[in-house]
Amino acid sequence: MTGFHFPEIKNAPSRFRNALGKYRITITRACTNCGLCVEICPYGVYQVGSKRPKASCEHLCLGPSCSKNDFYCAERCPEKAIHIRLNPSFEVLGDRRWPAELLAGTWHMAETGAIPHQGLNYKTGDSGGGFDKIRFILPKENGNDKPVTDGDISTAIELNRSGDSRPKVTIPVPLYLGGMSFGSVSIVTMLSRARAAVALGTFCCTGEGGYPEELMDYDDNVITQVATGLFGVREDTIKRVRIVEFKYAQGAKPGLGGHLLGDKVTPRVAQMREAVAGSALFSPFPFHSVYSVEDHKKHVDWIKEINRKALVSVKVSTPTDVDMVAVGSYYAGAHIVQLDGSYGGTGAAPDIAKKNIAMPIEYALPKVHKFLLAEGIRDKITIIASGGIRSAYDMAKIIAMGADGVCLGTADLVALECIRCHHCESGRGCARGIATTDDELTDLMELEWGTQRIINMYSAWRAQLVNILKRLGMRSVAELVGRFDVLAHMDYIRQEEIEGELD
Amino acid sequence: MKNRTYAQSIIDSRRHLGDEAGAISRPRVDAEEGGCGVTGFVCNIPVSGRHIFEPSVQMHNRGNGKGGGLAAVGLTPAKLGVDQRTLDEDFLLQVALLDETVLAEMEERFIRPHFRVAHEAFIDTVDDYRDIPGLEMKPPAVKRYFVRVRPDALARFRKERNLLMLPEDKAEEEFIYQNTYRLNLALYSSLGEKRAFVLSHGRDMMILKIVGYAEQVAQYYKLDNFDAHIWIAHQRYPTKGRVWHPGGAHPFIGLDEALVHNGDFANYYSVTEYLKQRNIYPLFLTDTEVSVQIFDLLNRVYGYPLEYIIEALAPTAEMDFDHLPEEKQRIYRRIQAAHIHGSPDGPWFFIIARTDVKNRQYQLIGITDTAMLRPQVFAIQKGEVEIGLICSEKQAIDATLESLAKEDPRFGTIADHYWNARGGSYTDGGAFIFTVRESANGRKNLICSDKFDRQIDVPRDQRPCDLTKKLPLAKLESAFQAGLRKELRKGDVEGLFSSLAKGLPKWDYSYTGSVLNRLRDLSKDDALKGNVIRLLTLFLDRYYPTGKKRRRSILQMATETLHSLFNTVPLLNDNAAGRYGRINFERRQHLRPPFPVEEVLIADAGNFPPEGDDSYAHLVTEAYRMGWKKFICFGLRGQRFLGCGLGPETEGIRIDAYDSTGDYLASGIDGLEIYVHGNAQDQLGQIMKRGKLVVYGDVGQTFMYGAKGGEVYVLGNAAGRPLINAVGRPRVIINGTALDFLAESFMAGDPYNGGGFVIVNGLTFDDRGRVIPQDTPYPGSNLFSLASGGAIFIRDPYRKIVPEQLNGGQILPFDERDWELILPYLKENERLFGISINRHLLTVDGKRRKPGDVYRTIGAVKLSVLASSSLSMNEEWVTGKSIEGMPDILFHHSTNYNKI
Repeated sequence: MTGFHFPEIKNAPSRFRNALGKYRITITRACTNCGLCVEICPYGVYQVGSKRPKASCEHLCLGPSCSKNDFYCAERCPEKAIHIRLNPSFEVLGDRRWPAELLAGTWHMAETGAIPHQGLNYKTGDSGGGFDKIRFILPKENGNDKPVTDGDISTAIELNRSGDSRPKVTIPVPLYLGGMSFGSVSIVTMLSRARAAVALGTFCCTGEGGYPEELMDYDDNVITQVATGLFGVREDTIKRVRIVEFKYAQGAKPGLGGHLLGDKVTPRVAQMREAVAGSALFSPFPFHSVYSVEDHKKHVDWIKEINRKALVSVKVSTPTDVDMVAVGSYYAGAHIVQLDGSYGGTGAAPDIAKKNIAMPIEYALPKVHKFLLAEGIRDKITIIASGGIRSAYDMAKIIAMGADGVCLGTADLVALECIRCHHCESGRGCARGIATTDDELTDLMELEWGTQRIINMYSAWRAQLVNILKRLGMRSVAELVGRFDVLAHMDYIRQEEIEGELD
Repeated sequence: MKNRTYAQSIIDSRRHLGDEAGAISRPRVDAEEGGCGVTGFVCNIPVSGRHIFEPSVQMHNRGNGKGGGLAAVGLTPAKLGVDQRTLDEDFLLQVALLDETVLAEMEERFIRPHFRVAHEAFIDTVDDYRDIPGLEMKPPAVKRYFVRVRPDALARFRKERNLLMLPEDKAEEEFIYQNTYRLNLALYSSLGEKRAFVLSHGRDMMILKIVGYAEQVAQYYKLDNFDAHIWIAHQRYPTKGRVWHPGGAHPFIGLDEALVHNGDFANYYSVTEYLKQRNIYPLFLTDTEVSVQIFDLLNRVYGYPLEYIIEALAPTAEMDFDHLPEEKQRIYRRIQAAHIHGSPDGPWFFIIARTDVKNRQYQLIGITDTAMLRPQVFAIQKGEVEIGLICSEKQAIDATLESLAKEDPRFGTIADHYWNARGGSYTDGGAFIFTVRESANGRKNLICSDKFDRQIDVPRDQRPCDLTKKLPLAKLESAFQAGLRKELRKGDVEGLFSSLAKGLPKWDYSYTGSVLNRLRDLSKDDALKGNVIRLLTLFLDRYYPTGKKRRRSILQMATETLHSLFNTVPLLNDNAAGRYGRINFERRQHLRPPFPVEEVLIADAGNFPPEGDDSYAHLVTEAYRMGWKKFICFGLRGQRFLGCGLGPETEGIRIDAYDSTGDYLASGIDGLEIYVHGNAQDQLGQIMKRGKLVVYGDVGQTFMYGAKGGEVYVLGNAAGRPLINAVGRPRVIINGTALDFLAESFMAGDPYNGGGFVIVNGLTFDDRGRVIPQDTPYPGSNLFSLASGGAIFIRDPYRKIVPEQLNGGQILPFDERDWELILPYLKENERLFGISINRHLLTVDGKRRKPGDVYRTIGAVKLSVLASSSLSMNEEWVTGKSIEGMPDILFHHSTNYNKI
């Protein structure tokens, strides 16, 4: 991947007056407005105020752990007017997969493009299993004998490894942005993601809801989705893109198809899907024309006939025979298999399905990777993991478990300040103006801001990935694929048993 | 009672088989099977194995070359080195030797001690398997034995297994079954290294299978000179790669039957448990094996008649069950209660070939699952010779007929009837049985019947054309000849066709042939060519009386005339030759933009692969890109995606497709017009956006799935799941009916305000070409289910549609507004198909009716109603309450007609 320049990071602070942070700062009346705190805080927590300073960026505050620093404001305040304590909102924020710290850490990356300095755990959640129990075994810092610099490390992956006559498509980061339809998210959300994908040299998938005209400027970076409802799928949308994705199932709700409840079917959504406004829209499961692998091949051949240059990606969930599904997709001519594990899905996916049907991606991926290796075709197909990738560490871990790259959805929404309230399905009322089709709520977000937030977050992710690769002595993310030896599961391996450090 | 005792004694006698199987620890592998292509035909004369070759090649893309197999039933003794009696009475045991050194041990243990061998031989093969293009793995050596169980061995077996009460012939059959099981267990499934397995052991039948494609079986084992009454073949698509032995390939055996299967079971585990309870243990771990095990259990062990076996496999459900006679309901209910756990759930389609020893007949059976999730087409042709065919794709049927006709002109290239089975239905039971049986005069006859033993036949009083001799030329009156030319010049092709069609019943074949020849000669004049093509095409498109002649012969003659006409058009070269230019596979590199005089590109599909880089569809797209606007596509053999890929705004483009078009035709078209002159295959018009599709025949499964618009006219029936998830404004007329699930989740807006709708006329044609109503305009249990927009207008003068068929829709009065909406489409329908609004659609029992008395409207229910129980809504209808604007008269009608 030569000649690609990664986008510039620009500060994109919270669009709300009070960004949510881990700590809450109160300044008592004892304050004399001397301005010392404003002056000494290197993180810009305080702003000058008329009567006393305002802690307008308290989400940047290090909290009590700052006490070891000589710029610890609570200590240095001559009047001891500053009180720092845990933000009570923080305790109720998020869930076990996305704990408050991970949310806040992600917001921080989206705001600044940098790794959070506040001591937030931005690497893992608190689910008690899977990624959250897995760590990298990293050699001690500078402990390896072939030092590499950041610039030498490639995070690029090739999406067409089939050796067929279709074009090569290389993306400079091992990730692209997964399908979220117009209708399930606002047009601003959709465009922010698409524009970020352009800046990062990668792709963004339309989801199943048609191809809004606004996206057409970004054709080269759009993946158009052919899903079971075939909503908005037309020859010209298939013809204009470089990758076409078949969505067979979503890990969050395998066997259930898609649904967009009536409330979200506004005239614009209905128009794009050519359906009736106000009526719920169902995508069936499965494709009514595909009940076997040879039907699937025919389906893939069809898309390949319409667009003779496009790569074909097949998105499937992770049933117990996911390895068969992957190998079948390969033989049917797919370039990319996207395995969608069970953690994904917005709040609109039914709870009963969300965590109970498909296999977690950490189980599915090694199974598929090893099976394809044994088949001798692992290097002919690109495996993309999705469904519960929350952080740069999740991404690096799943690559070490056999994926070539990842596909993200929820992480982008968090970058746009989603608070994971799980009410995506309840009408148009996403309080944050992300998963909405309501015009006023859509206006809560600006396109430039949304774009930059996503760029910032993934830039931070890339930096973390580069750092992991560097410490492992690898020059390319491709070297990390299937390296189970660099991972440790904390239930089975203790820090004392390994050389190096668990991260 | 006797049967029950027999059944139990056989089941008990197998108990040790389970112990033996259990003693060997095998990893439990779940069935791995993809979809496949299946094909089979049965003929009243024995025909060569080479004729299964063509349909197999045609369905290459349904397999991946990792398993192919075929079975032959009703063999010719001379080719096997035995006499007729041995062939009839002995079991034909074929053993595949994956490791040839196992032979001595195998014979020592499983042949010599038990059998009197009347004849044994290795099956002849080509010298080097690498001489067969594409064959990568050496097929197994196969040894064939004609055996009877030695009396002492049988006596011992009956004693040891406590089968003394079983008649001798049944005990011998069971001996064969158990011996095969033990051979397979010992030399196949218990071993890491597979060494040998039994391919087949039934009477008058044999199976061969390899790692490769089915047609390579025929090549490798030299079946060119091997004749049989029935051939079935299977292209396998296993998703697990690195298959190195053919044990998992189809067909699988029961006793005297071979089964091939397309699909897979969701309940493989439950079915194996059901079998285990009856001491049956699968060894090959595919769902196909268990399918035939169930068949054998029900057939040989329980002694069920075929109808009940079919019922056990594909139970009748929903409204179809209610339509059964009470006596059948009583029996079926019991069958379902006893065997529902052995009923395969999921998409499947079986083709079974068997020797029915008891009744001295051969049978070819096709059975579809209740939801009809796999493609299936049946066909029959009768004349001097008689043939029945079952395939995954219609084009494979046509390929078989063509292959047969080339060698033996008593076969025609077109079948008398093509049809689909309606799974688990009261109409045909989802199964058809072709039986070859010797009649009193010593001639073998073919009989086709459905599950309920209702026969499907061809018009007896109409004779097909005898093409074994060259047709003598008839002299055409000079006035007639001059008239032809004059009318063609004038351009009233429709009028000319009517006058010819009027004369046709009186013509004999040679006169008809002479007229067609004359037309072909006239077409040499470029100015007349277009009209001649249109005229000849009308003979394919329309139904008309044929007198004593068989329709399929007329179709074959018209098709041949058209082909010969097309083939005289000069191939494209550097100069313009006229208004027509031709292109074919060999000359495809010479495709170039049209010169100004050139209007129509005649594209010969012969030799084009069905898909891929060199596809026929691509040739058409390229030609379009170069500026061609009118296409005549002929010689199609299932090439897929015709019309796909041209992109948006293709108004003014017209494609006329002849012969066996393929899947996905017209999918995604956005403006262009496609005319299919004949039956079409599966998945037509998916996501169709705009434009026009006209099919002069039936359409296959999932027709117009996810369509957004377009005007579509279908002369015949649609198979399962048409128009599912269609949105926007598709406007469709189906003149026949649909098997089931018509317009499920239809979301096509407000039909009166630019939205979409479907008109179903429920008509068909009789043998004399007359329009007649079908038994019911819509036989399925699911109509317009969960639809949120659009409408269905159904011609139902006898009020046969009942609310129970709707799952969310509602029956509304058909009013003036509806008539205004559909009239323009009915007019175009009349123009295209000759189905007259006044004489056919609005005339019921000879009386002209008002549109509102003939048609009914089915509309979507508002979401709030949809969200509540659909049952209450149906009750509302039945009690006749509270549907606004519903005139009482409708209810009266409904009652009246029900009484009729």
